[in-house]
Amino acid sequence: MRALLRLHAFALGDALRRLAAQPLAAITSVLVLGLALALPVIGAMLLRSVSAATAQLDMDPHVNVYLTVDATDEDAKRVGDALRASPDAASVRFIPRAQALEELRASTHLAEILASLEKNPLPHAFTVRVRSAEPARLQTLKAEWSRLAKVDQVVAEFEWSDRLGRWLRFGERLVTVLAVLLAISVLFIVGHLIRLQVVTRRDEIEVSQLIGATAPDVRRPFLYHGAVQGLLAGTVAVVTAALLGAWLGAEVRALTPDYASDFKLLFLPVEVNLWMIGGTALLGLFGAWLAVDRELQRFAHR
Amino acid sequence: MIQFSGVAKRYPGGHEALRAVTAKVDAGEMVAVTGHSGAGKSTLLKLAAGIERASSGSVVVSGQNLAALGETALAILRRRIGFVFQDHKLLFDRNAFENAALPLRIAGFQASETSSRVRAALDKVGLLGREKAMPIALSGGEQQRLCIARAIVGRPSILIADEPTGNLDADSAHAILDLFRAFHQVGVTVLLSTHDEAGLDRLACRRIALAHGAVAQTP
Repeated sequence: MRALLRLHAFALGDALRRLAAQPLAAITSVLVLGLALALPVIGAMLLRSVSAATAQLDMDPHVNVYLTVDATDEDAKRVGDALRASPDAASVRFIPRAQALEELRASTHLAEILASLEKNPLPHAFTVRVRSAEPARLQTLKAEWSRLAKVDQVVAEFEWSDRLGRWLRFGERLVTVLAVLLAISVLFIVGHLIRLQVVTRRDEIEVSQLIGATAPDVRRPFLYHGAVQGLLAGTVAVVTAALLGAWLGAEVRALTPDYASDFKLLFLPVEVNLWMIGGTALLGLFGAWLAVDRELQRFAHR
Repeated sequence: MIQFSGVAKRYPGGHEALRAVTAKVDAGEMVAVTGHSGAGKSTLLKLAAGIERASSGSVVVSGQNLAALGETALAILRRRIGFVFQDHKLLFDRNAFENAALPLRIAGFQASETSSRVRAALDKVGLLGREKAMPIALSGGEQQRLCIARAIVGRPSILIADEPTGNLDADSAHAILDLFRAFHQVGVTVLLSTHDEAGLDRLACRRIALAHGAVAQTP
């Protein structure tokens, strides 16, 4: 057991010595991998931030039905009954024009202007929560409810937030695809670098095998080499993303108007960053494994 | 200790290096394999060391049939056999100490144990004090001695040497053969190949003569 630990310690030391022996090549490859991997990390940070900002939005499918300004309470009751009778309406909330004016007055800075008006300019309105957000069905409902007497406008106001949700989900898929592609590139780049190492150390491998090195003995230092490169690349990616995130956050705060001052650029949780670093180390190890095995098979067939 | 029974070795190109070789090397014995170039000497030694596998027949070393061993078991068996290569197979980017230490490093020996064993091995072959010398700075005889130091550093019970005196002048060759005689005298089983008649007379050991891949005589 102690001998095995010593073999691992020696292999790790050997990998670090070889990285240190060619610092420029080592730094270049780690930076190339790390900066490329920073892209999906930054993408994930942006998505997380936008998702957090939009979480407060009302995403339930609902439709606002505005009556004409001259619609009476009787007209409102008739429209309300028609809406409640619809099988597509999950619930119907009536907002009398007086209440709408009060809410407008309370939620904006327009109190003085509103006070100066001779009469209430707002119509009676209904908020209808619908059972389906399917665009085709909504269009049918909008057309159907627009034909009701004294109905001025039918607006599906949640459509934009639904669209935003779709864009976010698309963004998540895009970041996932980007991360997978870059993970594959890590596999190939580390694999290629290790293959070069194997070719350079062909004599050593051959002699070692002749005097009793097993395949794991030969493989071990290369696996550490790949894992260390992956680990360093992952660390570069996380640090780069954090620095860029801090800068972007400051820029966004400077550009965001007051009414959107809640928007903050969120960093990924520490455990996600640690998984990211561990994952790239594993990718480096796996890439090295593939490369070494391929080269060892070539040696064996000579 | 080493038993060849009806051993044949055919290479992928169709060349038959050995044909139905049956021979035996007892524990503690020193045996020289002789024959002209291409007689199959190197192939026989590689089969005994588990570096190559026989195409047919069996090679039994220390009671283990090599044909039954997997690659890992065969590699571990090679650690117990010291092999001196005809072309030395030294690593030219490592110094003498690191070359001699390679088998111990592979086996996971402690640094202090490695150091003492390597120094002892270099001392036996007369290279103590040249630990930091790179192989390129060593003469042919010294390179061969370094190769022997690497072969004995693991304290093997079997020492196999393929043409250990090839390309050496007479004095260097005699010094190398004296080393093998010294190892034999302390109980190590020695199997070596050579076509150096003067050297064979000096060793005064049993011979296995090969000709065209077959045993010509086993006195």
